[in-house]
Amino acid sequence: MRRTKKFAGIAVFAAVTALTLTACTGGGGSAGGGGEKATEDNKPEQLTVAAWMDFPPELLASFEEEYGIKIAVESFPDGASAQTVLRNGLSSGGAGLSDVHLIELDWWTEMMAAPDDWVELPEIPDRWVDWKVKQGSVDDVITGYGTDIGPLGIAFNQDMTSAAGVAADPELFGEFIGGDAATWESFLDAGREYVATSDNYFIDSLSSAFQAAINLLPAAFEDPESGDPYNLADNAEVKELFMTFADAADDGVSAGIPIGHADWGAGFQNQQWATVVTPAWMTGIIAENAAGIEGWRVSSTFPDGGGNWGGSFFSVPATGDNTGWAVKLADYLTSPEAAVQWFHTTGQFPSQVEAIENADISETENEFYGGLRLGQVYGDLAAAAGDSAAGGFRGENFAGIQSLVTDGISLVESGGATPEEAWESVVGDFEALGFDTAD
Amino acid sequence: MATETLATGAPRTARRVGWGQRLSRWDIKVSPYLYISPFFIVFAVFGAFPLFFNVVVALHDWHRRSGMGDFVGLDNFAWVLRQPLFWRSLENTFSIFLWGGIPQLILALVIASILDQNLRARTFWRMSVLIPFVVMPVATSMIFGQVYGQFGLLVPNLHDLGLLTQYSSPFFQDRQLSHIAIGSMVIFRWTGYNALIFLAAMQAVPRDLYEAATVDGAGRVRQFFSVTIPGIRPTLIFIILTMTIGGLEIFDEARMFDGGGTGGGTGGADNQWTTVVLYLYNLGFGDWQDRLGQAAAVGWIFAAIILTLSLVNIVLTRTIASSDSGTKRMPKFLRAASKARAQAAPSADVNESSEGNAR
Repeated sequence: MRRTKKFAGIAVFAAVTALTLTACTGGGGSAGGGGEKATEDNKPEQLTVAAWMDFPPELLASFEEEYGIKIAVESFPDGASAQTVLRNGLSSGGAGLSDVHLIELDWWTEMMAAPDDWVELPEIPDRWVDWKVKQGSVDDVITGYGTDIGPLGIAFNQDMTSAAGVAADPELFGEFIGGDAATWESFLDAGREYVATSDNYFIDSLSSAFQAAINLLPAAFEDPESGDPYNLADNAEVKELFMTFADAADDGVSAGIPIGHADWGAGFQNQQWATVVTPAWMTGIIAENAAGIEGWRVSSTFPDGGGNWGGSFFSVPATGDNTGWAVKLADYLTSPEAAVQWFHTTGQFPSQVEAIENADISETENEFYGGLRLGQVYGDLAAAAGDSAAGGFRGENFAGIQSLVTDGISLVESGGATPEEAWESVVGDFEALGFDTAD
Repeated sequence: MATETLATGAPRTARRVGWGQRLSRWDIKVSPYLYISPFFIVFAVFGAFPLFFNVVVALHDWHRRSGMGDFVGLDNFAWVLRQPLFWRSLENTFSIFLWGGIPQLILALVIASILDQNLRARTFWRMSVLIPFVVMPVATSMIFGQVYGQFGLLVPNLHDLGLLTQYSSPFFQDRQLSHIAIGSMVIFRWTGYNALIFLAAMQAVPRDLYEAATVDGAGRVRQFFSVTIPGIRPTLIFIILTMTIGGLEIFDEARMFDGGGTGGGTGGADNQWTTVVLYLYNLGFGDWQDRLGQAAAVGWIFAAIILTLSLVNIVLTRTIASSDSGTKRMPKFLRAASKARAQAAPSADVNESSEGNAR
């Protein structure tokens, strides 16, 4: 009797363990590479796309009409949740992934850590600006088709700046923050001047401005050759930038509420700040959050010549069942025509050369921004930024170190530390992580 | 359940004869285990296996995409113990636990003793206190996050009253205040639930004890401390134990406090409200750290801490709650003394057993 019991117990345990282990290993070992071809034989009934912005409805309809494949959009509330699902899917052999995934530049490096996870996409010559293709490639193999880019502008409320007596229209605002020679220093000094004569803040948060400035450094946190992080305590360039922004934060230039914070939307409705660092894709989000508040415009002047924040890619996971058709869909969704439709739906600015030059984009007037031609403003900003918009080297730990340092700025904004204390704390946090640093 | 099937199954199979004899003997021996096996199989797959597997993860260099790396022994544990952030998150967790736990316990006891009185529409009141429990923790957290936000219910009014000088919400900046805010969510969610469990225990306290106490001239408050509390001692221990384990594992509330969107959800810029579990999550599954081995080590260290603390709690609760109660846990010499007293004055035994014993 006793022996049977024991045996049964062992048998059950062994069975369960075996089951779980096989479940873990199954589905792995997928090969990347070219993927299959799209033929009539392997045509699926439906393809899934994971993304977090609205799709132009006519775009989905026209794909279905042309190929007879339905597209189901798996919609996420924001990039962060799409990122989590993708991250978990990749580390569990493709479980729960869609046929096509939208990937944001900020977490592109993380997802591309194992290039084999992704189908190699055929080259499409001259569709995108060069640096977008470069960003979307790993070791010269294209793994992502660019959708939009995020040329940086400054959205400001001209009713507020005019009430403060500093600038009454976009042109004057451009001069107020430094004109053609604008730098972050001149921008922040303008902010100090603004808050002196006004009872709200100059900018929502300095963290996004700080990130834009970091982005322009050729190799902010890591050594491009070895990929190892620089020792942060000795990183003079970053420290100097940090101090510039932290001092301004200490002077109360910003409200300390970045995009993504629970209070960000309410901040617009309560008219808490007069400016926001605004990449093209954010114009739609601001219009939504600031609905009913008059006077928002976008300045065509940007400190240090401009920059880029975000922008996304469509990529095809190698584990998918329909990689052939998924590649076709990624191609379709990033055509210049699709980009124009997307501009009208969400305001995101195309990375496709033909679309950038399209009069339909540069001449459309945006009602919320007082009839301003946003396409033209951002086109100019993108042109001014040029290839430097591609940003510097981003290694595996870029996003992490950046968020550490940015948290330091937020700390000063919240009044929790002086700039020096905040820098000390950032360096302390960095050192606790115990990286092998490059010297 | 399992015993029922065993009882009905046994006589039926015992009557069988012939070729099925062996089968039926197997039936008797094996069937009960089969009947209860679903739970154990599910538990083994989703409970036991991950638990033991976690040991393996904690002893290796482990990353999300590349999986198992080199065996590193206890390095992950050493790494975690060196992190100032781990200790900070531990402090946060205990602080939030105290802010949420103690008021919750007191409130739940008070509410339960009120519900224990003869109220009109009893069921209505009893069900009402459970309503907050129905709301998902994440939803609770987001609602409270709005209340404490800069433009929420609280901050603008405090500002108008002159209690706050700055515009932005201090609940997202000051460490203690953020703990109080998160503690309040815990109180909101769990007080009613605990109150109902206390209520059930209170109703099991014999009514004649209260009558006797009333006869002896004990007021409501005195009855509460001398009759009710000792009477619900086992429940009290149970609640404090589950509260310790549950309260220390706090995660949802802290993660969603600031909305949890892009750039949020990590416990604040200065990790003001990063709890241990949130720290574990950030390490293993967060935006960039990707240190599953270290995260597993955090899990084990924290499990050890909770275990220790639960044991301390059991001991503490027993001594506190037993000081006024029956004879079970009384030191031997006291028991002997009271026995002697009871023999000497048999007429006073009602009073003795209800409250006077331990002194």
